[in-house]
Amino acid sequence: MKKAYLGIDIGSISTKGVIINEENEILAQCYLWTEGNPMNASKNVLHELKSQFDAANSREEYKIVASGTTGSARKLVGSMIGAQVVKNEITAHAVGTTTLHPDVRTILEIGGQDSKIICVENGVAVDYAMNTLCAAGTGAFLSSQAHRLGVEVEEFGEIALKAKKAAPIAARCTVFAESDLVHKLQVGCPKEEIIAGLCKAVAGNYLNNVAKGKKIVAPVVFQGGVSKNAGVVRMFEEELGMPVLVDENGHLMGAFGIAVLAKESQDERAFSFDVADMEFKTREVTCGKCANHCEIICVYRDGMLIDSWGNRCDNGAIKQQ
Amino acid sequence: MELRIDNRKKVAFPRINHYDYAIRYIVEQGIGAQFILLPPATKKTSELGSKYSPDYACAPFKHSLGSLIEALEAGAEVLVETGGLCRLDYYGALQKEIIRELGYRCDFINLAEYMGGSKKEWIRLARHINPKLNPAKLVTGAYEGVKMAEYMDEIEAMYYRNAGFEAEKGSYKKVYRQFLMEMQIAESGQEIKRGYQRAKQALEELPLKMPENPVRIGVVGEYYTIMDEHSNQFLQEKLINLGASVHRFMNITNCHFRAKETALRPRIREYAQYSMGPTTTWTINSAMDYAKQGFDGIIHVKSFGCTPEMDAIPVLQNISRDYHIPVLYLSYDLQESDTGLDTRLEAFYDMLERKKKVLR
Repeated sequence: MKKAYLGIDIGSISTKGVIINEENEILAQCYLWTEGNPMNASKNVLHELKSQFDAANSREEYKIVASGTTGSARKLVGSMIGAQVVKNEITAHAVGTTTLHPDVRTILEIGGQDSKIICVENGVAVDYAMNTLCAAGTGAFLSSQAHRLGVEVEEFGEIALKAKKAAPIAARCTVFAESDLVHKLQVGCPKEEIIAGLCKAVAGNYLNNVAKGKKIVAPVVFQGGVSKNAGVVRMFEEELGMPVLVDENGHLMGAFGIAVLAKESQDERAFSFDVADMEFKTREVTCGKCANHCEIICVYRDGMLIDSWGNRCDNGAIKQQ
Repeated sequence: MELRIDNRKKVAFPRINHYDYAIRYIVEQGIGAQFILLPPATKKTSELGSKYSPDYACAPFKHSLGSLIEALEAGAEVLVETGGLCRLDYYGALQKEIIRELGYRCDFINLAEYMGGSKKEWIRLARHINPKLNPAKLVTGAYEGVKMAEYMDEIEAMYYRNAGFEAEKGSYKKVYRQFLMEMQIAESGQEIKRGYQRAKQALEELPLKMPENPVRIGVVGEYYTIMDEHSNQFLQEKLINLGASVHRFMNITNCHFRAKETALRPRIREYAQYSMGPTTTWTINSAMDYAKQGFDGIIHVKSFGCTPEMDAIPVLQNISRDYHIPVLYLSYDLQESDTGLDTRLEAFYDMLERKKKVLR
């Protein structure tokens, strides 16, 4: 029986899951919306992966020996599925991308709520930056503007490519960008130019904020949900003056990276899809032992406490039965 | 039973890390007044501070205002606020007004008005707090208090440098806590010295599992946020828990007694010809030192909107490029959760660690 590894990336907007084998080939993959419920989303991901796995009759051939979680709900889902590796998305993305593209030098990443840049040398990340304080120019911004314009965010790229020129929109701040956009709409600017302007604004904002002071060297890989937007990709290529590569599995890179990390950890334990059918509950408890009022998160599986975190000092530590 | 009424004035100072203990010592042993020693800051402190602060004041203003209000609630009669080289110099005046408008009745001493004043004026100020002041005691008290600050800086530096590699988990923290406790209650120069020697010896004797090339991270940045653990959300503690050796040049000893700005400036000539404000010279100097010593990474800490430190960022970018050392920039306001910080620090540490494995 060959070994396989599971990776789940639970982001603010979407949840991704992959199963890879020892040669880092993707055996099963899944991508769906988180819809504000990371536990349900990851259960659905597990169901989907399981059915893909069964359909390919891989269950007789492969055995999942390690699992990992990443993304903003990594801790919760990690304790839920008993993952060996629970790591931040920056490391996961860097590892995933450098595994698939060993020659990459710069990784641009724009997700639902954050954006980051990772500089790579000799196949290992040497510097990174992440947006601070503000979510201007991320996927969430684009989808809220799509809603305002009455188009689907998935169509954004296509529409933007049709435009002859991009309407100038300030992207330093989401609020300012929005008032610029409303103004352009009121003066009768065509929709595709506005959409192209938004894409340009996202690229410009990214390069001026997150990537400030970082040297962008080719080959450049662009990933995260926004990389599916052809308009933003073109604006990046124009601004940088170099080709920008978008991997067709770019949206799975975090999940792929964490699966690779799970493989590297060499901590092996049989994984069962049964967790997808168990009942998990979380409860938030406010600790009253000092004025910090830490919010302690307790995770229960079938009524049993399996994990808790969030306390800043030992006073708030919850003893497990 | 003999009834003893404490006539000493109750003095308070905004919290700044554990330097409270040294200030307490100077106030109690030197001046002969009573010091209101506050418990560690909590979320409540920052909430109180931000509630009554102007929106655009920086985080240190809010933290110190919160501390002062808590001190008043604890019975303080004399509040002392310091002056400084940036907006801080104006903070005393503003906080005095805010506290008066809140309806508290207290004596507010703004040290900004005394900065650069003669020795006579300082003694007059101390006499104002305690009319029965003994000037000789004040001199020894101040000297020993400063000494305590120096000792605390030394032990703290040792702690953050090595605690990430302790062989027995929690052994470093235990000694460190014990030491701070002793400083908190010390009543003589002898006690301070003995506590220091004991802690130093104990820390030196503790076994370490230090790898050959540990991940070394240098922390640089703005005076208050970098030193005050509560303000920087226990940044250094988080780093040692990840397994790094953490170094920080900026502390009271290095900033005020050892490395004067004018002495450091020629060293950073390459990057800055003139002083860019409060602590930028120290920031640039220590970042440059860390880069030269082959550290793995630098973390730059500032409160949100701190203009002088913002000016230092382009210089740090130059250092980062010239010496090929990654710099993580952190900007603090009053955050509710640690999650964002944890993610960034973990990613930073992971990156440095993986880089080490591959490049060596």
